[in-house]
Amino acid sequence: MYKPFIPQRMNPVRALFLPAAIALVIHACGPGTDTGEDPQVTTLGSVEVTAQLEEIPSELPDIPLYDYAYVFKYKVLQVHRGKVDGDTIYVGQYNPLKPRSQVADARSGRIGGNLKQFKSGDIHRMALEAPIDDYYMGGIINKYFEQNPPLIYWAVWTNRVIQ
Amino acid sequence: MGKTLLGIILSVIVAAGVIFLFFMKRDVGMTSTAVPDTPIPPVTAAGPVPDARTAELAEEVRNKGWIAYCARGENGTWDLFVSRPDGSDKKNLTNTPDYEEAAPRFTIDGSKMLYRRMAKGAVIDHDLWGFQGELMIAEGSGANAIPFGGDGEFAWASWSPDGRRILCLTKKDIEIVDVATKQVVRSLSRHGIYQQLFWSPDGLWFTGTANHAGRQWCVVRMNAETGEVNPILTFQSCTPDWFPDSEHIIFSSRPANQSPTNSYGWSQLYMADGEGKNVELIYGEDGYHIYGGALSPDGQYVVFTKCPEDGGGSEKSGAPIGIMRLSDAPTIGGESPDLRRAHPQTKDGPVLMLEAGWEPAWTFAEIGGN
Repeated sequence: MYKPFIPQRMNPVRALFLPAAIALVIHACGPGTDTGEDPQVTTLGSVEVTAQLEEIPSELPDIPLYDYAYVFKYKVLQVHRGKVDGDTIYVGQYNPLKPRSQVADARSGRIGGNLKQFKSGDIHRMALEAPIDDYYMGGIINKYFEQNPPLIYWAVWTNRVIQ
Repeated sequence: MGKTLLGIILSVIVAAGVIFLFFMKRDVGMTSTAVPDTPIPPVTAAGPVPDARTAELAEEVRNKGWIAYCARGENGTWDLFVSRPDGSDKKNLTNTPDYEEAAPRFTIDGSKMLYRRMAKGAVIDHDLWGFQGELMIAEGSGANAIPFGGDGEFAWASWSPDGRRILCLTKKDIEIVDVATKQVVRSLSRHGIYQQLFWSPDGLWFTGTANHAGRQWCVVRMNAETGEVNPILTFQSCTPDWFPDSEHIIFSSRPANQSPTNSYGWSQLYMADGEGKNVELIYGEDGYHIYGGALSPDGQYVVFTKCPEDGGGSEKSGAPIGIMRLSDAPTIGGESPDLRRAHPQTKDGPVLMLEAGWEPAWTFAEIGGN
């Protein structure tokens, strides 16, 4: 035998409380502001910037057997340390499909950060070194090669910024 | 009664749906696996059943010096071995249960060899091995081996033509190091070369795996005097090494669009001249990645490894070593329908398959005794 489904009338107090509670939880769990500052990003590397990832110029290769650095184009929003020429920089990120907290290995040396995923338009606070070839010896995919970027930085630490 | 009948009918429909979804999911799982549709021939240590041609090849190479390679010893670690090029007279040169030894390389005269030695249990990474562990230098026979540097030092070391210097890579430079004094006698920009750096027998050139024109995994040649670089192949190529004539380079490459059913493709062994022209297939086989390509000292024979997994098997136990005549290039192994479509001119010469190893090298010096 099947028990018929009969909708129950909700208590009016509950009816008001429930949406409010849900809204509170969403607000509490949602992103607040975060400058990306931490002890690593403010001390590692010779340059520290907050910059916006302008684009991801091609699909990031997903080949776990092979390590590579991928060159991203950033618009510099703020220079915290060091000197940067112009407001556009090119930054090599090691194995960009991995969260920054898990990316360091024997080839990369000490790198990291709290960024989990690269998304076009996101803002990152980064500690950088340059040129990339002085700090990283491995495959580099540079879709901006034809634009002849004057300098490619090596991302030592990359944190997400939430504004 | 009507409600009961309706319940039974609904139950039957739901059960049928569950069964259908179960089988559909199994089917999807099988077809979405990464295993390519191309049939992969079984791997055996001995390779295909020897025929008269391979027996003739074995006889031909038997007394042409020795090949050295690393392989798993009886103690389970990687040791260095030598054998005659037909696989006979195999000897374990190191037999060290407390170390993993890899990638032996002879001087041109065979009087010395270098290799990397790692702590027991270290996994040999197919791309990082050049700066794993210590650089060891020994006599060509493997005797009197001594550590040349500390862990990770003298990365990607290879011999100068006279064996008095080694060529190394650092993050900033290519360095030429005097073996007697361990002093850097010259350094020059590495111009994007990041692994597998080797000096030509005539001393005029380097070859290596490099970033070039925005691309990774390019094989390049560098003028040893000026540092000027020219590409050999700029698509998915690596593990270059020199022909004895210093005018040709052997390397592995995994061309794009090999098969509509296998987007990853298989790595094949190629040769090209120093200008990057006349790129020609030496050996390939669908179902296998061909790495470790090297020439015999007279340039007449080619040695390589043949592994069903990309990377050449260094992380496990290597892969069967193959030997063929260069005059039989291009040769294609197995059915390899995709590769045969791309290279219909294959000569299908005999290939002598030996035991599993990794990074073989060949010398005519009588290092292993008679």
